[in-house]
Amino acid sequence: MDAFLHMGGYAAYVWPAYAVFFLVLLIDFLAPNLRRRRLLRELHARMQRQKARDARKAARRTPSDPHDPTSTPLDS
Amino acid sequence: MKWIPLWMHRLSSPPTFYRFATVMRPWFMALAVILTAVGLYGGLVTAPADYQQGDAFRIIYIHVPSAEMSLFVYGVMAAAGFIAVVWRLKLAESVAMQSAPIGAAFTFITLVTGSLWGYPTWGTWWTWDARLTSELVLLFLYLGVIGLYHAFEDRRQGARAASFLVLVGVINLPIVHYSVKWWNTLHQGTTVRLFGASKIEGDMLWPLLVMMGAVHLYWAASLCGRVRTDLLSLESGKQWVRDLAQREGR
Amino acid sequence: MRPGSLSAACAAVLRRDLLLAWRRRGDIALPVLYALIVTTLFPFALGPNDDLLARVAGGVVLVTVLLAMLLAFDALFRPDLEDGSLEQLMLAPQPLALMLGMKILAHWLSTALPLIVIAPMLASMLHLPAHANAVLILALLVATPLLSLLGAVLVALTAGTRRSGMLLALMLLPLCVPVVIFAAGAVSAAQQGLPWIAPIAWLGAALALLLILAPLACAAALRIAVDA
Repeated sequence: MDAFLHMGGYAAYVWPAYAVFFLVLLIDFLAPNLRRRRLLRELHARMQRQKARDARKAARRTPSDPHDPTSTPLDS
Repeated sequence: MKWIPLWMHRLSSPPTFYRFATVMRPWFMALAVILTAVGLYGGLVTAPADYQQGDAFRIIYIHVPSAEMSLFVYGVMAAAGFIAVVWRLKLAESVAMQSAPIGAAFTFITLVTGSLWGYPTWGTWWTWDARLTSELVLLFLYLGVIGLYHAFEDRRQGARAASFLVLVGVINLPIVHYSVKWWNTLHQGTTVRLFGASKIEGDMLWPLLVMMGAVHLYWAASLCGRVRTDLLSLESGKQWVRDLAQREGR
Repeated sequence: MRPGSLSAACAAVLRRDLLLAWRRRGDIALPVLYALIVTTLFPFALGPNDDLLARVAGGVVLVTVLLAMLLAFDALFRPDLEDGSLEQLMLAPQPLALMLGMKILAHWLSTALPLIVIAPMLASMLHLPAHANAVLILALLVATPLLSLLGAVLVALTAGTRRSGMLLALMLLPLCVPVVIFAAGAVSAAQQGLPWIAPIAWLGAALALLLILAPLACAAALRIAVDA
């Protein structure tokens, strides 16, 4: 095992090379995962906000004034 | 045989490709990991040390597959870029643009591992040899493509412009390679051979072939992941993405 | 020349661009001044050793000219894009590639030609021998149109973007490597008394090819990048 890690005296070159290989590819593999999670979470939050806004609007409109000038049929 | 174009056509629709990529990605990655384990066991443990370079030659098992991938990814990027420029297919634009960071990563690995290999064997970590210089130019090409893509505000327009640059680079790369070769013979520089006179032996060869298979599978997995994410942000207004966000976005 | 004919349109574009360049004479002087400054800095950095300077002179002048041209590339399409005249050109019935070719020619005349004129002076400041100086001029006469044509394609690609200075340099580097190698190779061959015609001939062949292809590629790139 010791001889294996020693790499015939070339350990200082062989192991960093392998470290770079695995590190760069690991980052390359994981980066889109993180970005995907963030995208979906942002979109979800935006949809929730939109839903809340619609609900508020609907709640305000129904009891008070049926001829609310701000409401259009497309809004509901 | 009509099902092939039909299948290709169906696959080129973003939601279908998203599902395809989601299913295939773990399989590609699992196979890549298994092959890497087998290849590196063969390369680092069972293969004998080189009679000239000793154990330093074991860098070959990541250097050569990465070098091959840096060109292979460029080829795929060029093919997708051609489709993107001519037919303006959304998936092709995405594949071309998402290939660029993967290719840049492999090119970077090739340069770094090559330097780490060159230092103990040639005595220098850099030389203006045709292969090394072309590889460096390739890295600049990849960075130029990524830079041009991100300089546009409209993502699809940026993808098409950068795809055009990819096509220009395809013509340019062999010219660079051969002109540097000519320049090197003119300058009578230190002539270094990347591969010595020794032919590579069977015990050393099979791990290399396994590693080459592994990086190709890794590339497929990485591309699936990147394109899948890119399609989400490109189509963020569409219903299928909204459904997905509803299910997975909490 | 009938108004509206192809040759009249070409002449009009060329005359307009040259006139605009002449109206802003200060801008023409800028790359020349830049090249002069850069060349002056080299002896300070390398030391006043005549042999050393003579050895690097050809390469230094070539790279300086290249960088000075890079500095001026941004002005190739940007003013026309901002005032909308480029879009008029794209809508014109005359082939866009030919019109762009005329624009590139006008740009070469107004930026590269002054640089070629002062190049022998810059080279002799660095003690380049006289016979190599003639080859340097010849190499520049073939290499600068090549760079203009290659650069025009890339400038067209970045036309739709806001920032492009550093990006243009990054994109141009891979394309100009062969040009620099052959041009500098010819000069250094002449300096060593070797035959220098082959690299010049290669550059000439590339120029002949690009004279046809680059305007077409430039037009295609511009249609992608400025597409509304």
